[in-house]
Amino acid sequence: MEAPYDDRLLHQRVVGGDESALGEVYDRLSSLIFGLSLRVTRDRVIAEDITQEVFLVFWERPLAYDPERGTLRAWLATIAHRRAVDHVRAEERRRVSALGPRLFEREPVRLEDTVLAADEAERVRQAVTSLPDGLREAVELAYFGGRTYRQVGEELGVPEGTAKSRIRLALRRLADALAEEEV
Amino acid sequence: MDPVERLYLDAMMEDPAVPAHSLRPQLLSGARARRRPAAPTAAWAEPYAGRVAAMDALLASAAEDDWSRVIVEGWTLQELVAHLAAKDGLLAAAVGAPVLGPPIGAADSASRTDDLQAYERARSPEQTRRDWRAQADALCRHLAELPPATPTTLDGLEVVASDHILARSLETWIHTVDAAQMAEIRLPDPIAGHIHLQADLCARLLPLTMFLSGLDGTGRTAHVTLTGEGGGEWRVALGVGDTEPGEPDLRITADVVKFCFLLGGRGDPGEFPAELDGDLPLARDILHAAPALSGP
Repeated sequence: MEAPYDDRLLHQRVVGGDESALGEVYDRLSSLIFGLSLRVTRDRVIAEDITQEVFLVFWERPLAYDPERGTLRAWLATIAHRRAVDHVRAEERRRVSALGPRLFEREPVRLEDTVLAADEAERVRQAVTSLPDGLREAVELAYFGGRTYRQVGEELGVPEGTAKSRIRLALRRLADALAEEEV
Repeated sequence: MDPVERLYLDAMMEDPAVPAHSLRPQLLSGARARRRPAAPTAAWAEPYAGRVAAMDALLASAAEDDWSRVIVEGWTLQELVAHLAAKDGLLAAAVGAPVLGPPIGAADSASRTDDLQAYERARSPEQTRRDWRAQADALCRHLAELPPATPTTLDGLEVVASDHILARSLETWIHTVDAAQMAEIRLPDPIAGHIHLQADLCARLLPLTMFLSGLDGTGRTAHVTLTGEGGGEWRVALGVGDTEPGEPDLRITADVVKFCFLLGGRGDPGEFPAELDGDLPLARDILHAAPALSGP
């Protein structure tokens, strides 16, 4: 999936060393990245550190991102997720050993790296199948069928706005289901 | 990206949250420490400052063995960066900006490149990168206060300072693409406003590239349409002594970035993808002459 025009423009500007573009990327995506980091780590201070670091990595190594391969949102989410999971694992290790955790890996993440291990991906698929039918169909069409919100609405015979809110509700339920399992 | 992963990440982002205090000011000062932004300079020099920042971002990700890999002209990445610093330094000298590195001996590009490459070979790639960036930023700072129409002579060519810096910008851009291709990294184009200024320079250089190729375009006019972001239309009088363009004798339509790169010596004029109209032999002459100013 190619990135939208805005992503390309912001990327061009960041590569060209335009600080204000970094500010704009932050304004647009920081609450999503912070929300994701918070969901994974459940620690506001750590989530703030991770959020800061994600945008710094993008600024420092902007060429690691390739708009031909995905959206900026997905790219930053991938980095945030990686760091958040690393933190959680390091915390777990610290609980069982006296070894200090290595909070952040220094090397930039590559987009082709997988976000989820095979068993985690399977848990996501399972969570999708346990969604109520209306939500499940909408999610499957949008994510596995590559449909737009409008097309999802057409196929389900509902307005575009309804399709969109079903997908968002489904995403929320998924996040909750996945969080419960982790406890 | 795998759909399951995209779905998962979207789900995890479904609860946006706001940090207790804004991280923005902290982020921007942290960013400055991690990677220097484009140097502040005059608006007409910004395309150059932007290309320097882009090259620096590429160099930041170069691994140790990348530096010794040959990129163009038989030069390693380190030698290529020294070459850029050499030409930047000559322009700095020509406009009265500080010249870094060893004092300038022979003030032509080839000799200064030899001298600076010899000097930088004894230094680490990281030092070479810092030297180049310091020279570029010093030049940018100086240009901030310089009238753009200041007559400036470099390599025996006297044009206004703003054209010389656009030529530096184009060369920095092209060599960044050279190095990025070697590293298999896709380099995004400059922003449209910067491309447009480069394209404007390239269009205005056509009479000179023809003249240098032994072609006399006196009294003839080309209408050049460059497509894509940053493109535009130019009516160019093809004689070096011509003052005003007349009615077009021919039309050339081409992609703006490809056209700039043709002037910069990247692309075969015989194979150049362009729509030609009107006086076709003259149009082909223009394209064949286009790379005449491109050196290493």
